[in-house]
Amino acid sequence: MTTLGITINGQVHAPTEVRDDLSMNDFLREYLGMTGTKFGCGAAQCLSCVVIVDEPDGTCHTNPTCVTSAASFHGKTIRTVEGHAKNGELSPLQKAFIRHFAFQCGYCTAGFLNEGQVLLEQLARTPVPRAGLEERIAEALDGHLCRCTGYFKYHEAVLDVILSDAKRYLIQEPRG
Amino acid sequence: MRTSRREFMKWVSAGGISLSLSHLAAAEPVAFPARETLPGRGKLNPAIGGAGRVDGVAKVTGSKLYASDFRANDLPGWPEKTSHAILVRAPDATHVYLGMDLARLSGALKPTVIVTAADLARINVRVPAYYEGDLFCPVGKTPLYMGQPVALLIFEQFDTYDRARIALRDGTFVQFGEETGPIVMPNYAAYRFTRVAGATPDAPDVYSPVLAGWVTPGRTQASALPVWSSTAHKNEAGYEKAAVYGDQIRAEIAASESSALVLDRTFDTQSVDPMFMEPECGLGWYSAKDKALELVLGVQSPYEAAESIAFLLGETKAPFKPSAINAQFAYVGGGFGGRDHTPFIFYVTLAAIFFPDRPVRLAHDRYQQFQAGIKRHAIKMRSRMSVDRASGKITAFAADHVLDGGGLANFSANVATCAATAAIGIYDVPKVDVTTVAEHTRGVTAGSMRGYGSLQTMTALEVLIDEAALALKLDPIDFRRRNALKQDGRTMTGNPYIVSVRSLEVLDKLEQHPIWQQRAAEKVRAASGILVGTGVACVTKDYGTGGDSSNGRVELSPDGRIAIFCDHVEMGNGIGTALANRVALHLGSIADEVAVSQVGVFDAMELVTSGDCYTMDQKTQDKAEKDPRWVPSISSATSASIGAHVGTHAAAEAARVIFRFGLWPAALALWNIGPRDPRARDFAKAQWKDGQLTMAGLPSLPLDKLAAAAHARNLVTGAVAHGFSRWSWARARFPINGEQYRAEIDGLALRRGAGKFTRINRASVLFPPTDNNRMGTAYTAACGATVRVEIEKATGMLRIAKAYTAFECGQALVPEVVIGQAQGGFAMGVGYALLETLPPFEGGPGNGQWNLGQYLVARGSDLSLRDVEIELMPPLTPDELPKGMAEVVMIPIVPALLNAIHDAIGHRFAALPVTQAMLKGALA
Repeated sequence: MTTLGITINGQVHAPTEVRDDLSMNDFLREYLGMTGTKFGCGAAQCLSCVVIVDEPDGTCHTNPTCVTSAASFHGKTIRTVEGHAKNGELSPLQKAFIRHFAFQCGYCTAGFLNEGQVLLEQLARTPVPRAGLEERIAEALDGHLCRCTGYFKYHEAVLDVILSDAKRYLIQEPRG
Repeated sequence: MRTSRREFMKWVSAGGISLSLSHLAAAEPVAFPARETLPGRGKLNPAIGGAGRVDGVAKVTGSKLYASDFRANDLPGWPEKTSHAILVRAPDATHVYLGMDLARLSGALKPTVIVTAADLARINVRVPAYYEGDLFCPVGKTPLYMGQPVALLIFEQFDTYDRARIALRDGTFVQFGEETGPIVMPNYAAYRFTRVAGATPDAPDVYSPVLAGWVTPGRTQASALPVWSSTAHKNEAGYEKAAVYGDQIRAEIAASESSALVLDRTFDTQSVDPMFMEPECGLGWYSAKDKALELVLGVQSPYEAAESIAFLLGETKAPFKPSAINAQFAYVGGGFGGRDHTPFIFYVTLAAIFFPDRPVRLAHDRYQQFQAGIKRHAIKMRSRMSVDRASGKITAFAADHVLDGGGLANFSANVATCAATAAIGIYDVPKVDVTTVAEHTRGVTAGSMRGYGSLQTMTALEVLIDEAALALKLDPIDFRRRNALKQDGRTMTGNPYIVSVRSLEVLDKLEQHPIWQQRAAEKVRAASGILVGTGVACVTKDYGTGGDSSNGRVELSPDGRIAIFCDHVEMGNGIGTALANRVALHLGSIADEVAVSQVGVFDAMELVTSGDCYTMDQKTQDKAEKDPRWVPSISSATSASIGAHVGTHAAAEAARVIFRFGLWPAALALWNIGPRDPRARDFAKAQWKDGQLTMAGLPSLPLDKLAAAAHARNLVTGAVAHGFSRWSWARARFPINGEQYRAEIDGLALRRGAGKFTRINRASVLFPPTDNNRMGTAYTAACGATVRVEIEKATGMLRIAKAYTAFECGQALVPEVVIGQAQGGFAMGVGYALLETLPPFEGGPGNGQWNLGQYLVARGSDLSLRDVEIELMPPLTPDELPKGMAEVVMIPIVPALLNAIHDAIGHRFAALPVTQAMLKGALA
């Protein structure tokens, strides 16, 4: 058994004993009842299970939970799909997913949402030129599987959020 | 989002068990008001203005929606704790099953309950006929198929279950003895479809399935592969005539080789997995004290699932026989046919029954989903085609199909007939002869996966058509156009389509597209080391099953709030949104509440049914329909392709009745128009604009005012309707307010004011004739694709440089959802053509060792997302009814890719998928 203390969506979960081989996915879904994070393959191939890990230096990244032990998240701060909306207000990316009809069955949505959000935050820290933006989005989302949509509208939604706030996410190029 | 546990319909099943069903949505208290909007009228209602789906907020906030999301403590009235079950499956089907060695589950890991075939026999579990075959392989028998269950292991605690699951992962504890070889079983279905057209297009057919019925060489033939000869012994009645014509067609094709182009080709397609994202899952709780079984399931066919479970337990011994079953159906995380008539539900049920008073959860992991989930049929095809060289017209076509149905029958017969009747695609061929057989094998069960049958046979056909065009030195699109079936032409079963036929328009669009126009120039411009090719294909796909039912209920409150209830399932296809939009056409506003997967709320119609709507004869139907409550089928399974056409039909008709006998008379009253005023009959001229009912020269009336007036005057404020389609909708007359109201429904109940729903007995009914069952299909939607590929000579790596798909679906209820489905279909088609494959038998998924990683699904980078153009063609007329389209969109890209590959490298592949390794091999 190993001690797991973790902060999820801003809420501190007091240290608790968990099995060494308990997956983070099962910790979220079975122990905490947080089933917004999905189980898809158990092999880190579909990425429907990813959560956002916030590092102390302010950076963030996604992490699959189906093949990662819960214990390995000890001391970490993470965000899940349940934590994106604040005070009843959906995040810009959540709104864009709805506006663009980005998903159909919606089972992969949490994974895409987390990955897209990480990309937005990375771009906010390190804006990129407009040229090549689509490739950057494609690169970011490419590991995620979706069987209903063909990915098109997920990409469009992320692009829309970035272009709607271009000053934040893109390097402002001098006018010629 | 609010809980949708509603009043349940109760009825008594054949086994004497009371059943109730409902749709299950989030059961937990919600965190913020936005979640309560499903779809609601709040400011966050994403359906208003068509911006977003009605379930959008729930899906982006991680609400509990899917069966896999629910545990016992999420469900009101259930015990707190959830136990967990492992379904053990046999990874072998050629040796005798000896039992399980569970030594590795010693001590704390020991399961609390073990359920085997012997236990099922002990309590007298019955297997519904559709699922014929042992639910568990008994010790001492060879499994019927790879992945056949052998036992359920139930664990009280999650941790025990989880550790056991890990310990058992390699599957070697399931033990086998003597080698027997696979179990040999009769084939699931064998049919021959033969048509000989008359001398001219207008002349009646000489012979066709519609004229003569569907024929089979003999269910009495004992061999796995039928003997197709017209002179074979034990042929069934009527077969010989078809076989004589068929053999003649084949002889003519062979004899025409000197004067005509004759192609004789084989084509093999592979088994694939629907790979819906949510593995199958369910939750059950059997209260022994109350004899009540509660279930949470996620399937495409809720009604069938509940009935089958009731049959399963109908004669079980006490204390295992429930007196009541309450099944709740959750959203599904993808379906694609893989959750239609899935046997998984039985194992959830058995887990609950054998561990009474403890809620038990059964969930596939992905390995198990690959091992046992319903697959697409692999089909081996041989096709022969004769084309007149002078006219470029196809004169005859013959084919033989052999389908691998896997271990259980499931929908193999339907897939086989669908594949056969789709074998001539968009073309008008005067002489056709197609044989088809679906075999039992030891592979994983195959079923009705998206585009079933047609995908396989139309791919083979469109590759053959391409080859013929090139051999005749004809432009591939021109060749297709010369042979395309026109609006009034007959399909290969001998009937015309009853909906628009738009293949020619699709071909025109493909021809005009820059991808096609620039194909020669792009070939020349290819970079060094890259081969460029362009391909095209055009298909048409049936939708509906020839026995589709639709239940809808619409309620209007005094303040104008609209609630819609529908029996079809939300699979991601946006049926909830489509319902809201279709009802809004009649009631002027988007609904405040949409509930899908409903059955219990339609009981006011008090419908009854009998017989099998697919096989009954006219006399039986004529007799049965005298009962005004009788319908050929009460509820049918959901597939994405019938969501718009069937799923929304009854609700739309219910809304139409409310308008006609509720809102319209209310408007007349508010306008002070008396019943004798000629304007009183002008309801068809009224229009909704911005939530107001408008009529020229009269003040506009808002919905809430009309609704209040309708309630105050005790007019119709709610309607429950049922529709049945056998390639056309049943029509009936209902006496309402002294009028004979005619509509495409066969069951109706009305609510006046705030009263109760009351059944309206139909005065007369016209059900589609039972002979319509002889049609292959009468509903069709066309779709075409052209694609340019770039293939790296050195590596065989293929890149889709540009792709274009054009399709039609009548009136698109939610265009964004329709386009989304088309995009998803394109992706699934690319995966099918280039990536996805499951080997049969021992090396295949039945061994329990398959997962993503080995099984490749198209990712965004496989699709060239920014270079794919998908065009939704407008409806022929603004009021053209919605057509099914979710299936057709995945088909043409598959042969188009193969034709593009041939154009690029000069090699024509005759099997799927065409992988990079195969391309590299062909280029070597």
